[in-house]
Amino acid sequence: MSFSGPTNYRRESAKAIRDKPEVRDSVTAATRTFDAHRVHAWGQIDADRWRDWARDVKTHVLTHLDQYLEQAERQLTSNGTRVHWAESADDALTILGEIVREHGVESAVKAKSMLSEELGVNRHLEGLGVHVRETDLGEYIIQLLDEPPSHIVGPAIHRSVDDCRKLFHERLGTPLDADPDELATAARDALRAEFLAADLGISGGNFLAADSGTIALIENEGNIRLSTSLPRVHVAFVGIEKLVPRLEDVSAFLQLTSRAATGQPIGNFVSLIQGPRRSDEVDGPEEVHVVLVDNGRTRLLADEAAWEALRCVRCGACLNICPVYRQTGGHPYGWTYSGPIGAIIAPGMLGLEEALPLPHASSLCGACVDVCPVRIPIPELLVHWREKAVEQGLTPKVETVGLKAYTKMAQRPGLFSAAGAVLRHVPLGLGGRALPVLGGWMQERSAPKSSAKSFLQMWKEGIE
Amino acid sequence: MTARERILGRVREALRERDPVEHPGAFEGWRPRTPRSPVDGLVHLLEAAGGEVVHQPNLDAATSWLATFCGGFDSSAVGESVPAALRPPIPTASPDIAPLGVSVARGAVAETGSLIMDARDGRRAQLLVPTHVVFLRVEHVYATLREALLDMADDLPSAIGLHSGPSKSADIGQILVKGVHGPGRLVAVLIGGDE
Repeated sequence: MSFSGPTNYRRESAKAIRDKPEVRDSVTAATRTFDAHRVHAWGQIDADRWRDWARDVKTHVLTHLDQYLEQAERQLTSNGTRVHWAESADDALTILGEIVREHGVESAVKAKSMLSEELGVNRHLEGLGVHVRETDLGEYIIQLLDEPPSHIVGPAIHRSVDDCRKLFHERLGTPLDADPDELATAARDALRAEFLAADLGISGGNFLAADSGTIALIENEGNIRLSTSLPRVHVAFVGIEKLVPRLEDVSAFLQLTSRAATGQPIGNFVSLIQGPRRSDEVDGPEEVHVVLVDNGRTRLLADEAAWEALRCVRCGACLNICPVYRQTGGHPYGWTYSGPIGAIIAPGMLGLEEALPLPHASSLCGACVDVCPVRIPIPELLVHWREKAVEQGLTPKVETVGLKAYTKMAQRPGLFSAAGAVLRHVPLGLGGRALPVLGGWMQERSAPKSSAKSFLQMWKEGIE
Repeated sequence: MTARERILGRVREALRERDPVEHPGAFEGWRPRTPRSPVDGLVHLLEAAGGEVVHQPNLDAATSWLATFCGGFDSSAVGESVPAALRPPIPTASPDIAPLGVSVARGAVAETGSLIMDARDGRRAQLLVPTHVVFLRVEHVYATLREALLDMADDLPSAIGLHSGPSKSADIGQILVKGVHGPGRLVAVLIGGDE
């Protein structure tokens, strides 16, 4: 199952809250834990200075992106890595298809990669007759369930232990009362055979150092190291915004991202990949391919304000703190990247019309900007996209008409107080739903009681 | 025009009116000073992440320790750069079936609690085994990851792995499990320093 796009966010989020209340419990518990770990980990360092530095390096890269892309290409090539450029998801999948054909690939193992979700890699490979297996435990769970990921770092956080018990019982034959250790062992055994048999390993890339051509990957399970070490071909999909100037810069980004995502000083496994197996090495892939992917990123880069969102390191901290995300998890957002970061990159990458509901999926409380390790001004960018939507006439007709009517009325004191008197005497529960703007608000909420007197009357009489 | 040229063209077009920002310079690892030495810092973090740490004063002591430790295993996979004195006195087996893997770390990083694993030592013995024993000379502990990367920059293998604890996951209902794909038991054996 894949995403249908953000257009139906309002309906899907309401449905999730109504039909799957247990998702809210799982997601809220998991994100609170993630965030508590982040708070603890940031307390151990001078986090403000780390974040300033990381913001400035990323901004530096983005304002010199063409130069760093060219440098990375030169260095990757001289390391023996094959470099490809993909303008769109279709381009990236075509490139992957050629590699599959050239090597007669029958089975592939995948390390967790949000970009590969964005591109639709699994479905494409299945269409080519390739058996493809997600190897991150969370990704494996949702692949068996045929669901898309619900969180950047914890793709299966919307699922409880009981959900996993049932699933593994049906698919791997574990007992219905198995503990998490038994479940993980069953998954390890099933996946180990696939690792050893796979011809192709697929990964993303957390960072790409331009000076050394190093692909850096962070994880805790070891499945990324295995996916990039055992199969004879490794393909890494890397967004063009993932560049950092120097390998030494990677040291800080690995640590800051780990601390922001899971509160660890660093993930338990980090891969720093320079290229294919060399003559003095006993194992490793014979071929390494890096696919540099645009797919809407240059469109986001061109936006005069939202380009700053390309600093994102995909740690998930803004999802973890977001009171709106916590209610539903990621699925209602309708595309790969959910939560606050998803809401500000979707309009730039997919187009505003397609992504319009998402900048409204926020109370503008500002918690996200306080936790972002690269200081992306998320609330400002949410407002930026809302303003653009009004400028481009993309807001609902009834809202535009309603606001115009209100403006006219508010300029005429007599009409304003007469309208107020009428509204005070119509029970909101009945009439409210018919009103523009208010109607939408009332669909999910019970109506407050109207006051018998207007504020102006009370003011004149003296408010106690 | 190729995809490459079109992408670079769009990047340049987007940046045409944008003010360039300078690189802020070297990352200085701002953190509160702790009284720990690099070795103590490494041990503290490795243990906090679920790793085990053994300290042996010299190579002879490490050899004896290994002989005892291997008593619980029937075979092992051994890294390419493991010296004769640190090869387990039990039969060798390929990494996909061996219950024990023995490697030598190229170095370690105090600030992250990481062992630096070089691809030239063989990746499979570092990854496929349930228990991974890693030998490390204490003089090879770097204070920061940046120092380690700068020092290795001129001699990089096809891949470096930073191992900072056992394989773990909380993907099943947020409950921590160990040994999901990589080694579920990581034993770092620090050699030297006490002479």
